[in-house]
Amino acid sequence: MKKLTLTALASLLLLAGSAFASNQGDFQKAMKAAQEARKMAQSVDGEWRDIGKILKHAKKAAKKGDFKTATELARIAEFQGKTGYAQAMSQKGVGNPAYLYN
Amino acid sequence: MKKQLVAVLAISLLATGSAFANKKATDTTPEEDLKVYRDYFMKKFPGVPLNEFQNGVYAIDKVSRDSWEAIEEFPPYEPMIEEGEEMWNKPFANGKTYSSCFPDGPAQRKNYPRWDAKRKMVVTLPMMVNECREKNGEKPLKWAKGPITRILSYMAYESRGQKTHVVIPKGDADALAAYNDGKSFYFARRGQLNFSCASCHVESAGQHIRTDILSPALGQTTGWPVYRSKWGELGTLHRRFKGCNKQVRAKPFKPQHRQYRNLEYFLTHMSNGIEYNGPSARK
Repeated sequence: MKKLTLTALASLLLLAGSAFASNQGDFQKAMKAAQEARKMAQSVDGEWRDIGKILKHAKKAAKKGDFKTATELARIAEFQGKTGYAQAMSQKGVGNPAYLYN
Repeated sequence: MKKQLVAVLAISLLATGSAFANKKATDTTPEEDLKVYRDYFMKKFPGVPLNEFQNGVYAIDKVSRDSWEAIEEFPPYEPMIEEGEEMWNKPFANGKTYSSCFPDGPAQRKNYPRWDAKRKMVVTLPMMVNECREKNGEKPLKWAKGPITRILSYMAYESRGQKTHVVIPKGDADALAAYNDGKSFYFARRGQLNFSCASCHVESAGQHIRTDILSPALGQTTGWPVYRSKWGELGTLHRRFKGCNKQVRAKPFKPQHRQYRNLEYFLTHMSNGIEYNGPSARK
């Protein structure tokens, strides 16, 4: 019984692992999303400093077949692109802050 | 409990109140801005005369000033002024010199940056230097460091004592838009650290950032080009803009990009009335 439970648990873990493991397809999808997000940030002069570097590392990892790392990096770049865009839009046209008048 | 509620309410009201007082760039005129910025810095650093702000952090911190004054006894930029003078006098291949573009001589700081109504853009002194070279068949110089800082340091040296006088021409909507763009750039948070230029040089001016003291924005444009010990050489104002943007983890623009020219226009206007004192030395 104990052996059976252990086997079931191991199989479950393996299944879960394979469900979350990234493959080339995942990486390509993440890369496309990251590049689109970067372009969006660029269009409003809101790109962050390190996106280019992060994407470069992602490509390097993918070349080595480490799609897990590559996909994670691409997702970080996508986040940075989207946040940079949102930041630039929220700051559009700002002027003197309140503290100047206190 | 009641007290806590009142406190929370008061804090919320304060937060809301200050949020409402934030202005849009177009809400205030350049004249109003000038007064607001000056009043702010005079209140923040009482007793510092307006013209002293030309010296950046050395106007507000005695210890830093002492070591800076020691450096200024043998200025590290002095040989570069001499090199710049040689460049000024050396004829281009066509026999003309820089003075063919600047007939009033090298003391040009007071004239730049300025709004060029014909071209509908802010023009800067480094731009005019390179345009002069191209007009005379020479290759333009790189913008951030190297030979351009030599000619600029000679021109700055010859301009010492001139007062900053940036004009936003009345009735020119494009000039005002460029000024407001520069203002917006200055107060906009950017980069992964979510800092604006003003976060450091207005709101936190005078405070420590690691071992350094943040210099006030007022007077920050007067001493360029600057010999920074960190660089070990002279650099231009736009080189510093790039560095600041990188430090907050935003992707910087190229020197003389529209964004930086507009920023220079706004920031230099803030220092109207303060004397030019470039080239200068900074940490």
